[in-house]
Amino acid sequence: MKRIQLEQNAYLNILPAEKFNRCRITVQLRYEASREKATACALLPFLMERGYADCPDPTALSCRLAQLYGATLSADATASGACRSLTVSVDGIQQRFALHEECLAEEYARLALGTVFRPAFKEGMFDAGEIEIEKKKLAEELAGEINDKRLYCLRQARRKFFGKHPAGIERIGYLDEVEGLTAQKVTEAWHWMVENSHVEVFCSGLDEEQAAELVRKELQAVKRNPAPLPEMDAMPVQEPCEYLETMDMVQAKLCLLFTVADFDPVTELSAMRVAMAVLGGSPTSRLFVNVREKQSLCYYCSASFNSYGGMMCIDSGIEPENAKTAQQAILNEWNWLKENLPTEQEMEDARRFILNSLAAVGDSISAQENWYIGQLWRNSTESPQEVHQQLLEVTPQQVQEMMKKFHFSVAYLLTKEELADENNH
Amino acid sequence: MKTTIKALEQAARCQQVQLENGMTVLVKPMEGYRDVHVICGARFGSGDCSFEMDGVKHTLPAGVAHFLEHKMFESEEGDAFSQYAAVGASANAYTSFDKTCYLFSTTCGVDQALDILLKLVSRAYFTKETVEKEQGIIGQEIKMYDDSPEWRMMFALLQSMYHQHPVREDIAGTVESIAQITPEMLYDCVKAFYSPANLVIAAAGNITMEQVLDAIERAQLPREKPNVKKIAPQEPQGIACKHREITMSLSKPMLGVGYKEQPTTQENQLKTALMCDMLSELVCGAMTPFYRELYDSGLAGADFSGEFLCVENALCFMFCGETDHPRQVHQKLQQEIDRLRREGVDEELFNLCKNQMYGGLVCELDSTSGMAGALCAAELKGYTLYEEMNTLVEMKVEDINAALQQMLREENSVSVVIYPEKEEEADE
Repeated sequence: MKRIQLEQNAYLNILPAEKFNRCRITVQLRYEASREKATACALLPFLMERGYADCPDPTALSCRLAQLYGATLSADATASGACRSLTVSVDGIQQRFALHEECLAEEYARLALGTVFRPAFKEGMFDAGEIEIEKKKLAEELAGEINDKRLYCLRQARRKFFGKHPAGIERIGYLDEVEGLTAQKVTEAWHWMVENSHVEVFCSGLDEEQAAELVRKELQAVKRNPAPLPEMDAMPVQEPCEYLETMDMVQAKLCLLFTVADFDPVTELSAMRVAMAVLGGSPTSRLFVNVREKQSLCYYCSASFNSYGGMMCIDSGIEPENAKTAQQAILNEWNWLKENLPTEQEMEDARRFILNSLAAVGDSISAQENWYIGQLWRNSTESPQEVHQQLLEVTPQQVQEMMKKFHFSVAYLLTKEELADENNH
Repeated sequence: MKTTIKALEQAARCQQVQLENGMTVLVKPMEGYRDVHVICGARFGSGDCSFEMDGVKHTLPAGVAHFLEHKMFESEEGDAFSQYAAVGASANAYTSFDKTCYLFSTTCGVDQALDILLKLVSRAYFTKETVEKEQGIIGQEIKMYDDSPEWRMMFALLQSMYHQHPVREDIAGTVESIAQITPEMLYDCVKAFYSPANLVIAAAGNITMEQVLDAIERAQLPREKPNVKKIAPQEPQGIACKHREITMSLSKPMLGVGYKEQPTTQENQLKTALMCDMLSELVCGAMTPFYRELYDSGLAGADFSGEFLCVENALCFMFCGETDHPRQVHQKLQQEIDRLRREGVDEELFNLCKNQMYGGLVCELDSTSGMAGALCAAELKGYTLYEEMNTLVEMKVEDINAALQQMLREENSVSVVIYPEKEEEADE
């Protein structure tokens, strides 16, 4: 990846795209999570997907995207520890496939940049009518989180895990605050975000100079005074807390969260990647082989590490009757790795699994972009090839060390009503 | 335009070999890619529940194709997942109404992974004990889907439209139906549907045709072609149930509207599928004023959309989305369809829609998984990717208007509403 500084805390990142049929531009605003502005910031992606200054009508924007051979425009709010980001991406076919020789890449860039930096304002503010429409959609999304039981269980567990820590500020806002949002509040949130954010633009398949010029032009037109972003800060070690929630459902969901102590993402991330693959991040992992396959206690059961929030998450889909047994079986696997070294075979399988995924990163336009988005959150620009060597050097002792760094904090069980008493945590 | 056509041809064309044993092999080497994606597709899906082999009729309980998909991963030497992992490949499989596909992705150990794949689809190993164990695992999977409103909606619509056709049964079956599965039944299905002539191999990425053919040679696949005849279900005309209401734990009601259509013939399948895809978009896609009206008035969410299903002896549309006003949205949807039928489709919108679908096809082909998946799916349906693109480019608004005269008729429609628990008496 070629990284070009355009101004203080604003970068253009150029990624290769010659072999792809498509090209892509992503504009990301990275800022410190604000409890006060969380809900207003969460509404911005909804408004941005409706249109921007040059194309304010949502139906006209959909038609414009279709004209560009079904290019997609997406706006999302994402979380990384105590930071949040607004990400706008435009993805579409490369010029050589255009039926009428249109300049597609430049048009994608204009769309993405315009969406972020030039909203469809009326008299200096977002349109009040549109705010009302999108408030309903945001409220529905917030209320609808129970529809996806797996995700809902994860979110509930995270709420208990982070409590009032900034990392726990809701990425998509708070339902009880939606009604109070006004055009003025949301417009202020946009100005605040643009002024305080670090800007990362990722271009795959766009001319470098042309992209730099387009980004600079947009940046010059807005007020900017970016603040430093907070460092990763793991949650303190606490006594494990267990929670139970019931609803009408068939399969129960169990989510276990662990905090990490003394973890250095710069020097220890490769060891952690292997440790996760050994424990529960691969088809040869202990959770997959022992808990899912041999003991048939889960339909799915996987472990992942969030380096930005200092948190390991093990989530599983289980038979409601098996909740206690499944939780113990999962904890047994973690405990085993704290007390024993993984076998050479386990190490080899885990490394092979990660290296294979790593080698394929460059074969997908969005995977290579996601890789560098993740790396930049950790202030790194290491390529998958550079990380490859580090992974080969990870030892069984390091995997054991990584496991010892975790402390079990939260268990969240979402299960069906009639079994609540049996599983009462 | 000439350059574009050349680029398109390059993107969509692949190497194809038809082997003596009847197996079709498609390979698309992709320059600059490190990844390899290989899919082996069998023409056997959840819709195939009755067949005749060597003069004997076999009737299957719901869920056999999917059950078999799980069991094919097992062999006397252990499960194929571990074997794939041992060479560095990630594997998966899926079953749909008309096919079962086994796939792997890898950047290393391609030849070994090909050997595992070919062994997996050609050497079945089942015992009473392993079948019983799988009944428990799949039972869990069925329960997981039972909690998905979208999944429940799809099958509620299919059950309302169809009287007999197996598309009305969940692809994974039910806990009761899979309890009837025996090792003998599975061996019969393997014999009938996993012979090379019934399989397609599609590979894309850092791989050559020679590599795939060498692996097939090493696998020593069986040569016999069993005499199998699928027995098509006798589906009566007309719908099975006009309206259904169900409840589950969700935040707001969900509306589904289905239209049962006349099944298409094999030769018209490609054009019909493309027309149905386009019609779904022209009725309520994001470009339409109708979608905007539903969205901005708060009648429906951004997820309100249409899709279609086109398999042997069944063709239907399904429009679904969350709404607090299911009856009103249903009525408006039918009014919009009737208006389009009366006034004809806006030609500008039609061209935009065509552009959008063209872009979608081009984008699908720029990953190894997209390419191998598209090659395999097209071959199983009996056409090539290039034919698919050409058929789309040649489509005219008159084709769509003619289709609308027959399709999406109120008399062939059904509706389903899923209400949140204890809130059946909604605001209407």
